[in-house]
Amino acid sequence: MTLFAPDRDPLQVTRRQFVRTTSIGLAGSSLATMLAARRAPAQIKGSNLRILTWSHFIPAYDAWFDKFAGEWGEKNGVKVRVDHIPHLEIPARMAAEFAAGAGHDILFNGSTILTRIYYKTLADLTDIYDQIGKKHGGWIAAARSPVEVEGRIYGIPVYYILLPMLWRKDLFEEAGVKPPDTWEAARVAARTLKAKGHPTGIQLSHCNDANLNWRSLLFSFGGTETDPSGEHPTIDTKEMREALRFGKALFDEGMTPEVFSWDDASDNRYLASGIASWIHDAISAYRTTESTNPNVFKNTYVGLEPAGPGGKRVSVSAPNAFMVWKFSKNQAAAKEFLVHLMDNDKQGMIESTGYNMPFLNDTAKKPMPVIGSDAKLQVLQDFPKIVAFFGYPGPYTTQIQEVANLFVLPDMFTRVARGQGIDETIKWGLGEYQRIFAKHKKA
Amino acid sequence: MTSTFQAGDPETGVRVAVPLGALPRSGAWFRSQSARRLGFGYALLAPAALYVTLLVAVPFLFSLYLAVSDATVGEQMAGFIGLENFKAALEMDSFWIALRNSVVFFVVAAVLKSLLGTSLAFLLLQEFRGKKLVRALVVIPFTLPVAISVLGWKWMYDSQFSVVNWVLSRLGLIGAYGTDAWPVWLGDPRLALVACILVNVWRTFPFSAIVLLAGFTSVPNEVLDAAKVDGCSFLQRFHNIVVPMIFPILMVGFLFDTVFTLSDLSVVYILTQGGPGNATQILPVLAYQIGIQAGNLGRGAAIALFLVPLLAPAIFVFLRNLKRREY
Repeated sequence: MTLFAPDRDPLQVTRRQFVRTTSIGLAGSSLATMLAARRAPAQIKGSNLRILTWSHFIPAYDAWFDKFAGEWGEKNGVKVRVDHIPHLEIPARMAAEFAAGAGHDILFNGSTILTRIYYKTLADLTDIYDQIGKKHGGWIAAARSPVEVEGRIYGIPVYYILLPMLWRKDLFEEAGVKPPDTWEAARVAARTLKAKGHPTGIQLSHCNDANLNWRSLLFSFGGTETDPSGEHPTIDTKEMREALRFGKALFDEGMTPEVFSWDDASDNRYLASGIASWIHDAISAYRTTESTNPNVFKNTYVGLEPAGPGGKRVSVSAPNAFMVWKFSKNQAAAKEFLVHLMDNDKQGMIESTGYNMPFLNDTAKKPMPVIGSDAKLQVLQDFPKIVAFFGYPGPYTTQIQEVANLFVLPDMFTRVARGQGIDETIKWGLGEYQRIFAKHKKA
Repeated sequence: MTSTFQAGDPETGVRVAVPLGALPRSGAWFRSQSARRLGFGYALLAPAALYVTLLVAVPFLFSLYLAVSDATVGEQMAGFIGLENFKAALEMDSFWIALRNSVVFFVVAAVLKSLLGTSLAFLLLQEFRGKKLVRALVVIPFTLPVAISVLGWKWMYDSQFSVVNWVLSRLGLIGAYGTDAWPVWLGDPRLALVACILVNVWRTFPFSAIVLLAGFTSVPNEVLDAAKVDGCSFLQRFHNIVVPMIFPILMVGFLFDTVFTLSDLSVVYILTQGGPGNATQILPVLAYQIGIQAGNLGRGAAIALFLVPLLAPAIFVFLRNLKRREY
């Protein structure tokens, strides 16, 4: 505490400061040397590395990742074990490992990003984050938000999952409606095509896609969730009202009550069944139709995030990151592995068949792996500039995490769709945001 | 009352009653038979006491501690904040919905489970071919991993591919897909809660049936036959003979069932995550979402502890009735 510190010459260095500074310097230079040599330091040989990750929606990616980790382990004399669990179980597992002070060395966060809750117990990865960025042309603008706390980086963002427009070109052309390049065009198409037996659907329920999709719409309408500091909710705005009004119209004109019951995969099935005119979902929904309904696959096109009334496009995506426990006894190996993983970012994107969107600028350069050479998917290359995460334009805070966990924003759209007044809904929503923000300690 | 201790001369075999206060305090008592019996008794009780302490008392006290602290899943140290978490929970709109739904869930499920469990138990009492196989089959819902069975129901309730709806539609009982007469089980606020309750009932009523069956088979046939000869109807025999005789078993069954139902997180979490718009929100799911997923352990614990005032009166009534019957 400087308040009680004795007056000291600013140039004077204490023993503690000296030890700390030289340690950081030595660690940094060792890591730099190690990275430059592309060889693991001797101290990680013979060690064990345990990785906890999710069961990826693309099983082939998991198979590649396990092999990739195993080969790295063999090359560096590290015994690697990879455990896969469903992503919804990760918060509970993380809490258990934290309480026990033991568990995996590297752990995955997907969609539910818990950096700000655990950062005091997570290893500071700023050094490798900076070095990876430097080596691969930097990180895209949205990369820091999920992993940064007070200027330090506690996770390596590995990829994000986009939810673009997936629309049926054949149905649109038949009905003579414009492609869904704007939310207004998407509404007109939904209204026209619902009358022909092809409604649309966005989840008005408690699932992650509902959190992502309605935020994309709100932010594209110029709305925000917090101020740039992330400390104050900003949902009582003209833009929010416009977005809610639009959401109600979109539901009334273009959807059916089925959306109140949907989960993350329901819209995939809706598209695959041939009924949906368009959905706003990850490209896995489109890819699976290749085998389940080839006709739908042939006629489904991928669109850029629709623009709001002011022409703004914001695509809220699901970030995924790897973290390292501070109590891990093998942080050196964990860091070395993560560096190696990011060095192979392009390969990872290939193995995920273009599902994993890159955080690194070099990988995000056109043409991107897989999607750059696919005529229908090329448009995805324009997303890195418009990607945002929960809390936009503020950071991804613990408060926002709770707001998302309680589905407050989708519930606002649900209330309006069910007939509640906009002012009443905003009053309710703002009350929920403010209560959550007030109760959380500043992180 | 005067405490006495049996003492005597081992050589003569003469045994006399000696007041306890008259015994020397030099440790002789600890070597006495009574002391050894007492010690042996406590030793036998110790594992059960230890089990209850470690698995019930410690977690309960720990949750009390969490509920009055600002604990998060990511911090080792937590500060005392009094009743702030309880106050915060009471201010939540979703908390009151969850509380109401928990009570509705419990009451409706209890009634349905009692009716179905009793009916099934009576059916299983009858003699018929393949009885053993049927007995084994009816417990399957209870023994299946909850995630698998509830996911199966999620498919059956699917808004588009619901096998329930397609069958009902083909039978002409509901409208066609895409019309207003096509029920969206997990999308309509009232239907969604009913759907969740039905899955809970489906999963656990075989347990009620098995408990009741165990009770029914313990009633001697002679007593029932005598009542029949006396002209008692089925309901009279059930009400005046069977229920009083199996009352302790009934109470224990109800007790388990109450706890299972009120603390059931899986059914609602897997089917709806509390949606749509909190229509199926219940206390265990809300506590999990806030305590574990959002990391606010203190508030999650406070919300979970609101189950105690719901559970305590029920448990008190059951145990008091049980005790009265014993004496």
